[in-house]
Amino acid sequence: MFKKVLIANRGEIALRINRACHELGIATVAIFSDADRASLHVRHADEAFCVGPGPATRSYLNIPNIISAALISGCDAIHPGYGFLAENARFAEIAADHGLTFIGPTPAVINAMGDKATAKRLMQEAGVPTTPGSGIVASVDEARAVAEQIGFPVLLKATAGGGGKGMREVHAPAELPTAYATAQAEAEASFKDGRLYVEKLMVNPRHIEVQVLADEHGGVVHLGERDCSVQKPSHQKLIEEAPAAELDPGLRARLHHIATTATRAVRYTNAGTLEFLVSGSDVYFMEMNTRIQVEHPVTELIYGVDLVKEQIRIAAGESLGFTQDDLHPHGHAIEVRVNAEDPENNFAPAAGTLTTVVFPGGPGIRVDTHVYGGSIVPPFYDSMLAKIVAVGRTRESAILRMERALGETRIEGVKTTVDFCRELLGDERFRAGGVGVGWLPSLLARRAQPV
Amino acid sequence: MTEDVIAVRARALAGALAEAGFARLRVRDGETEIEVRRASHSAPARPSRAVPAEPAPRPIVERMADVISSDVVGIVRLARPAIVEGQELDEDRELAFVETLGIRNPVRSRGTGHVIAVFVTEGQPVEYGQALFAIER
Repeated sequence: MFKKVLIANRGEIALRINRACHELGIATVAIFSDADRASLHVRHADEAFCVGPGPATRSYLNIPNIISAALISGCDAIHPGYGFLAENARFAEIAADHGLTFIGPTPAVINAMGDKATAKRLMQEAGVPTTPGSGIVASVDEARAVAEQIGFPVLLKATAGGGGKGMREVHAPAELPTAYATAQAEAEASFKDGRLYVEKLMVNPRHIEVQVLADEHGGVVHLGERDCSVQKPSHQKLIEEAPAAELDPGLRARLHHIATTATRAVRYTNAGTLEFLVSGSDVYFMEMNTRIQVEHPVTELIYGVDLVKEQIRIAAGESLGFTQDDLHPHGHAIEVRVNAEDPENNFAPAAGTLTTVVFPGGPGIRVDTHVYGGSIVPPFYDSMLAKIVAVGRTRESAILRMERALGETRIEGVKTTVDFCRELLGDERFRAGGVGVGWLPSLLARRAQPV
Repeated sequence: MTEDVIAVRARALAGALAEAGFARLRVRDGETEIEVRRASHSAPARPSRAVPAEPAPRPIVERMADVISSDVVGIVRLARPAIVEGQELDEDRELAFVETLGIRNPVRSRGTGHVIAVFVTEGQPVEYGQALFAIER
């Protein structure tokens, strides 16, 4: 097992990893930017290094400074968390070159899955159903030809993409040139890779993903599915739950089977997530995330498995301590993302000082956060302040518990998504279960219309 | 730099200021310049007969210093011969380098001046923004 791990991240996930390490008896080294000097993840770690100024490109993405901090402090492994360098194969390679274990899959797998078009091809070869569409298209004309063949509406997607960036819906041929140009420009700016591909746009599918764990000795298990269909118009997830409500048992079993088959096929190791679009009885592979995900706690709460500890154990070469037959979910869990955003203003991110911070507690509530009363929300990073997770015996009891928990939550100083999410939980359609990804955007569009 | 970042860096500088016993410190980073001053000890006039047990307050020297800090995370390698406190620099010169993954990142004096503090020792690990030298201009 590792003796000391460098946590190459910030915010709640840095704390989450710190907790897993300490419970495993592993010392930790935090990194931070000038803007995060007073952050909790710095305080909780055994050692901490400032790696750069506020902007992430000069700090949390500063590979030489991060690797240097790991070497100076005598670390034997690096946990990248999510975002930043988590899916950067080059970083994983550089870490390995300096004798540091990257806690995640191999650079080759990160590369293959990170390139969305390549990932799709590999999955097709493994017999995984994928959305009808193209490989990389070189021009608007080529995109148009594909779109006409599979039929509008289509989705233009950046092959290097993620987080909804470099993605455009195209409903008619006339919209294509503008959509192509803007998606390409956005992809170029965000990922330095403007290559696009075309995919059939499904109308209001559900976003259901399957969590997998794979060790280096051929052990592969799934830990069920998560439903992440409650997404903002920007495609960013807002409320997640496990298991997926109102899902046909046969379809569920099929999703789990596809996920483990695909994991084996690409020789995946460590924790990963396969994202699917589900429409009726149709299942399409969307992408594989080669990292721990933001919404991992909902799975942990119903399976009783610590996914971050498993990541560390797998990276240290240990075999999974359980088989599929040992894994049984209990109850239902829901996660709400508390973001420093204004739901009344297009979820515009907010920065500033948190004057009041009171998080909920009590039975069945878990809060993963890095903020506290008086802490500063810097303008440089993701706007997520906390994840509130509720677990109950049934979906209904988990929702009631979450409503109670959000009622206890007080965050002042910046606008947040707390009250907005509480309202969503009370919505009849959400309550019924099984909403699609179009549900929240259309609800917002209806609200925006003058009465 | 945003105000938040400036506030954070100013706090860090204030720490360095107290440590070094200067009255003022000024740090330049790109287009931003931060100056931190120690609050003047303008305590109400004491009676001329001071209480004997109380030591006289340490005089604070009014000096202008540039703090040269590290841009990288690495190991300090001092220039040879090593720069010492009190040394006069009559030209812009290399004071040390910070070694990061085998790459030498030079630390220069950014002009002439009088070295009033050397905060680091040979082989010391340093983080980004850590004060290395203070130079009076």
